[in-house]
Amino acid sequence: MAEELRTSSIETRGVAGRKRYAMVVDTRRCIGCMACQVACKAEFDTPLGVNRTWVPYKVVGTYPTVKKHFLPRLCNHCDDPPCVRNCPVEATYKVEDGGFVLMRYERCIGCRSCMAACPYNARFMLPAHRTYTNITNVVDKCTFCFHRVTQGLVPSCVQTCIGRSRVFGDINDPASEVSYLVATNATQVLRPEQGTKPQVFYIAGDRNQMEFGRDAYQRRDVMDEDRRAFERNFKA
Amino acid sequence: MGDYVVFHDVSWHASYAVYFFVIGIIAGLSFFSFLSWHKPSLRPLREKGAYASFALLFVAGLLLIADLSQPLRFVNVLNPAYLQFDSPLAWGSLNIVTFGLASVAYLMVLRKGDEKWGKTLAAVTALLALGLPIYTGYDLTAHQSRPVWNTPVIPVLFVALAIASGSAVASLLTMGDEIARSMLRQYLLWSTGAVAVILVSILGTTNYGGSAEELTFIVLTTGTMGLIFLGLGILAGTAAPIALLLAPYGRQQTGVVLAALLVLVGSAALRYALLMGPQYVQTLY
Repeated sequence: MAEELRTSSIETRGVAGRKRYAMVVDTRRCIGCMACQVACKAEFDTPLGVNRTWVPYKVVGTYPTVKKHFLPRLCNHCDDPPCVRNCPVEATYKVEDGGFVLMRYERCIGCRSCMAACPYNARFMLPAHRTYTNITNVVDKCTFCFHRVTQGLVPSCVQTCIGRSRVFGDINDPASEVSYLVATNATQVLRPEQGTKPQVFYIAGDRNQMEFGRDAYQRRDVMDEDRRAFERNFKA
Repeated sequence: MGDYVVFHDVSWHASYAVYFFVIGIIAGLSFFSFLSWHKPSLRPLREKGAYASFALLFVAGLLLIADLSQPLRFVNVLNPAYLQFDSPLAWGSLNIVTFGLASVAYLMVLRKGDEKWGKTLAAVTALLALGLPIYTGYDLTAHQSRPVWNTPVIPVLFVALAIASGSAVASLLTMGDEIARSMLRQYLLWSTGAVAVILVSILGTTNYGGSAEELTFIVLTTGTMGLIFLGLGILAGTAAPIALLLAPYGRQQTGVVLAALLVLVGSAALRYALLMGPQYVQTLY
């Protein structure tokens, strides 16, 4: 099946002898504890206001039968990533064995073309001042915890997920848990119509959160003050 | 309500729209400088157009570099070891550099008064100049997930806008010259007409597109963005100058100047709205 869907030479899903890491997010098991977001922040010292992973939610139903639907988000490490082909200086690239989409910080010129190309808002600009590192004023994103995975560990968000909502592994390996979950569950990806072949699969994702909709994405007036604070600090 | 809400910013801010506006004028003026070799009525624009577009190239270059979050790394886009030709930005950076070099050569030949080389270099410079709105248009078109941007007419629209704003500036540069005014009025009218036709096509396909497109249509046609896009861009900056130029008053000097000023305001507003509007919906995803 994966072979039939392949349209570009950069895609490695289903290619024999190559790893293709993927994540499955079972939204039924997500309790919205935000531990993944905190673990990621701790792992990478991500500055305030920007996130490599985040967990938006939507309240559904009518009182008293209401429920919060969570949709953990991160870079989809697309098999055919538009950010890679839009970068003029190859500052962002795809690792052939593993499929990680990573950044070369020293090359990034900060044109934000990759941010514009990403359909998932997974990229952000790092601020000009940071305490523990001199990686500033360049675009950053989730790395699928490349440094951990290459040491045989799982990403920090997966490690910390209390409900085992996030599962990580090589989808090219038929014996892996992600392969099993994708094969035995109905899964969705974000914005499949973009043809980016996202490698984050959602089980029981809420369509109201996964698609554009006026109701789901309307601006919340109560958040205007916070929005203004964000724009004050993060507008380039 | 509102806890854990994560905000997203637009990728490209208004300074890009200013850059688009400036390079549009550069392309238009270079085109008229080239045309002056073949249309005697445009002769006054030969040197004026060439010098003005070269001076504006510095402004555009500075705007582009200043907009980078790592301005000193702009040299990376000229490093053959780094360049990635899948990116329209890479082609754009080469286009700007070659246009700058061709402009220098053209200006030197103009100073020497060498007619044979002048004609050739004017053609080369004009072609490279027209590449500027084409590459910026393609730069938007290549972003597959953005409504409005990801349509094949955007580079064509940017070329039409470049001719419109170029002829508007040329009209201001040749004030008092009746023969040039008559010729430039034609260019102003037809290029603004082309902009109008392309805008109708963009609005139609956007309104009949998917949910992201429909939401973008709402963003572009309501509120402050609606005022900029519909009010300044389409009504004041496209429809009004066309009506003005078709009226008898539009054949007079003041009529053409007024239409030129409206076209300049309109083309700046259109570029701003077309850059910013399609980014808004994405910030809510």
